[in-house]
Amino acid sequence: MIEIKLVVNNKPYTLGVEPSERLIDALRNRLGLLGTKEGCGEGECGACTVIMDGKTVNSCLVLAVQANGSVITSIEGVGNRRSPHPVQKAFVEVGAVQCGFCTPGMVLSAKNLLDKNSKPSNEEIGIAMSGNLCRCTGYDKILRAVKIAAEEGKE
Amino acid sequence: MKYFQPYSVEEAIEIAHASESTFLAGGTDLVLHMRNGKAQPSGLIDLGKIPVLREIKEVDGFIEIGSMATFAELGNSELVAQNAYALWQACQSMGSPQIRNQATLGGNLGNCSPAADGLPPLLALGAEVHLISQEGEEFEPLSTLLSRTPLLGQNTLILGFRIPINGWQSGFAKLGRRRALAIARLSVAVAVEINGTRVENVRVALGAVGRRAFLSESLGRELSGLDLNGAWLEKGVLEVQQIVREALGARASAPYKREAVSGVFREALASIITEGGTQA
Repeated sequence: MIEIKLVVNNKPYTLGVEPSERLIDALRNRLGLLGTKEGCGEGECGACTVIMDGKTVNSCLVLAVQANGSVITSIEGVGNRRSPHPVQKAFVEVGAVQCGFCTPGMVLSAKNLLDKNSKPSNEEIGIAMSGNLCRCTGYDKILRAVKIAAEEGKE
Repeated sequence: MKYFQPYSVEEAIEIAHASESTFLAGGTDLVLHMRNGKAQPSGLIDLGKIPVLREIKEVDGFIEIGSMATFAELGNSELVAQNAYALWQACQSMGSPQIRNQATLGGNLGNCSPAADGLPPLLALGAEVHLISQEGEEFEPLSTLLSRTPLLGQNTLILGFRIPINGWQSGFAKLGRRRALAIARLSVAVAVEINGTRVENVRVALGAVGRRAFLSESLGRELSGLDLNGAWLEKGVLEVQQIVREALGARASAPYKREAVSGVFREALASIITEGGTQA
């Protein structure tokens, strides 16, 4: 076991992890943060996306030990039913959620884009969301929701 | 499995010498290979806490790129965009934003997939690889290094790369099954030295055509010393198809890639020469 320190959703943690343990395993199994989903487990689908030190990463491709000293935001740190994040609000309004499995990763990619760039172009939205696959929606409503969230943020 | 997190290159080399451990760069390939059993390291030497390995800077007429610079960092670098355009282009399209944030150029070479996106641009740009082991340091042309098996000695660390800043123009294009998140089925990088309307020198590198990315010396020779025009482009297309024919032989993908390479080659040159044969 190796001891790592990290901040997840603004709370500091000290965890004992195995060297081969992935960040997604530490988040789900040790911290009980089940909002981070494992889709493909090989970095193709983006369902396991979290924000690590201001950058989106696939938590299935990052070892927990590599996250030592990092600040992580998972979907649990973004908003809740009572006060949803503008991206979450827009997803619900537009109907960008169908089965919901890709949604946490989608929301984190969108949030991270808007944190850095409050007025993204359609192309910039497309690039920021290109690492997240959705098998239900056909993407149109997801991209529209991100656009709406960006416009609301501007006001 | 053991895990080491050195804070300096010297420390990393010492650990590598004393243990049978594997260097861990971004991990986007290695973590996967550990899970599916392709890699079974007895220990990991995590290079993530050695700041000097992340640097991208200009030194004495070269761009120096640390092995732990990520594709995202390279894709955001003005220095790279200005002087190593083919590499910059490859960094925009590799994997996905999430993977580009984590994956490193050194890891791309260390893993050395046939489809590694970073290698054809580095080859075309004439990059050298900076290596270090307990025996010392050396700069090795990437093209020479890629002909070695195994690629690296057991305890050799890739410190980084250096690319000459020489005014050559370059471009990169790849063919994937979709635009994002697609492994290259075929990639081409081209660098040219242009003097007026004349192409003085050319380097063409191909990826996903055979076991490793490679530089085609014959193609470079055939296309050098000619006027840059539509005829030059068409000659290049025919030559590059011939190279793919030779490299792939009777492989199932050969007829497809032989045809496809003409389009990918044209696209790689799009920032240098237009379809009509004039300078872009």
